[in-house]
Amino acid sequence: MIRARQGASLAAAMVLAAGFSVTAFAQTADDLKNDHLTPGDVLVYGMGYAGQRFSPLTQITKDNVAKMVPVWAYSITDNRGAEAFPVVKDGVIYTTAHNATMAVDALTGRQVWRANHEYPPETLRVVCCGVVNRGAAIYNGKIIRALLDNQLVALDAKTGKEVWRTKSPAPTSTENGYAMTGAPLVVNGVVIAGVAGAEFSHRGFLEGYDAETGKHLWRHYNIPAKGEPGSETWEGESYLTGGGSSWVTGSYDPELDLVYWGTGNPSPWNPRARAGDNLWTNAIVAIRPKTGERVWVYQTTPADPFDYDGVHTPVIATIPVQGKPRKVVIQANRGGFLYVLDARDGKLLAANAFGKVNWADGVDMATGRPKHNQVYRDALAGKKVEVWPSVSGVTNWQHMSFSPQTGLLYINTLNIGMTYEAPEPPKLSPGKPSGTPSVRRTVVLDDPNVRGYLKAVDPMTGKSKWEAPYKSPNYSSTLVTASNLVFTGTMTGEFQAVDADTGKVLWSFQTPSGIVGQPVTWERNGKQYVTIMSGIGGVYALRSGDPNLVNVPAGASLWTFALFDK
Amino acid sequence: MLDRMLRVAAFVIIAASVMGAQRSVAEDNAKIAAGETVYNTYCATCHGDNLVSSGQTFDLRKLPADARPRFENSVLKGKGQMPPWQGVLSSDEIDQLWHYIRDNAHEK
Repeated sequence: MIRARQGASLAAAMVLAAGFSVTAFAQTADDLKNDHLTPGDVLVYGMGYAGQRFSPLTQITKDNVAKMVPVWAYSITDNRGAEAFPVVKDGVIYTTAHNATMAVDALTGRQVWRANHEYPPETLRVVCCGVVNRGAAIYNGKIIRALLDNQLVALDAKTGKEVWRTKSPAPTSTENGYAMTGAPLVVNGVVIAGVAGAEFSHRGFLEGYDAETGKHLWRHYNIPAKGEPGSETWEGESYLTGGGSSWVTGSYDPELDLVYWGTGNPSPWNPRARAGDNLWTNAIVAIRPKTGERVWVYQTTPADPFDYDGVHTPVIATIPVQGKPRKVVIQANRGGFLYVLDARDGKLLAANAFGKVNWADGVDMATGRPKHNQVYRDALAGKKVEVWPSVSGVTNWQHMSFSPQTGLLYINTLNIGMTYEAPEPPKLSPGKPSGTPSVRRTVVLDDPNVRGYLKAVDPMTGKSKWEAPYKSPNYSSTLVTASNLVFTGTMTGEFQAVDADTGKVLWSFQTPSGIVGQPVTWERNGKQYVTIMSGIGGVYALRSGDPNLVNVPAGASLWTFALFDK
Repeated sequence: MLDRMLRVAAFVIIAASVMGAQRSVAEDNAKIAAGETVYNTYCATCHGDNLVSSGQTFDLRKLPADARPRFENSVLKGKGQMPPWQGVLSSDEIDQLWHYIRDNAHEK
């Protein structure tokens, strides 16, 4: 049944693609909406607005994947983490680093253009978790990306020349704790961008810009101002430095015209400085892309002491709920629960642990609130406790994929806990560091040789069909194809193809550095390709002290693979 | 008489130096503790929790005892991928940071 539906969808996509062939270089709003049906290109972050990272391509199979070989590699000329989502259009791959945007011939790896971006060195003072960029958006012949110093820039896709550049309006600045690391999402001509900086006492938001001109259109603060609904959940003036960033790209449902975006942790980490639920930190918000109007919101982790960002991209899918197909958004949350919400109104449909969790005994399905236990209460009272998961979460920002064929999510998870203690909280002002220094932590391990798992998880139960252990957790995103192959990478650099039905590694290739990137697959001239960036970095590589990573070489590169056909 | 005066003088000198040493140890401990806070606030982001680097950035515990000028220069002006901290960190805070790093150094 599912296959039949996909076949029909593919046919429809071909018709659509033919219809749009006259607009060779223009990525219209409709092109973006149909990205998941047109495997010849990869236009939208998450391989389609739903963020499923599922491809209908089947040339590479379980039986022949052992014959996959690199076609080319391209140097990014950078030693920072390579986290970007590669965009593919008309035989060109567009990718980013924190300080450059690049266009590369998709079949040969030859550089088409490279645009360098300078920023003041002081910018790095407010980048908590790796100096990175997660990619660009494409729209109407423009490559649109965020810069670390809070500017949005559009480049001509053919030449790399700047078309427009807009600085995010006040109070956005390095001094006030803001930075931009995420990839924008373009919806119906509106560029939607988020900010990082909840570790630097900012007040997070989402923004909309006109994709043609760069004009700033709207701003949605994730934390209400004084007097607005929800402001009563912030003690005193704490909302002004309350965090709630938006550093991971969201998803979009064209039928409901809703953008889903996750919000980050409250600031400071130490909860004793901000009594209350701290709305709308650690939440999933559904907004209208044209105006930024909030249609619904669900908070996953009220009054969060543990840095459990709710930023993980909400994946849109139609899955059986109580025997009936229902359009839902699914979020694998840092705090360890897998949330399933009705896409239309945000009603909670399921919330189950998908890893080791000890700070709550589940989620109350009537109120949607976590069932806090003594571990949580002691942490809030300033006592030293052992907490699972650690601040890094059961999963962090790395994207999961969802296969409509298997009905499973493929999630790279962490298996790490922590001791935690919140002493007297610090006094904060915008821009002041408010993460690590506000609490005391040490790492707790169940097994030093299993710090992470790749899991195939049922969205409604949180239970795994299989779990594959890894010595260090994978911060690579996953990709799943209609051949039931999962692609992912390890922190030590192996790019892998995994059997989606068993978790068995079927193919592995050692790239030059660790992988924290996002695999994509595409086809050209009848051949299927798989592209990934290699280049260790990001929060875990920098901060975890994981002994497995000490000798992993840095250095970002872009790789493309295909079946050896000679 | 002279012998007794010498003995008293020696006692006074030793007592003073012991007290001085104690005061110095206490001062150093205070600096180390303050340095840990400075480190957690500004440095742990890249150099790792509790000074433990995963290898992607310089392991500060490798700094030898005679490297203080190089250390201060790098902190103030920035080095490679590190931003400059001049105008953010005071000389007292850099002193505290140095004490914390040296207290955890691989080679004392």
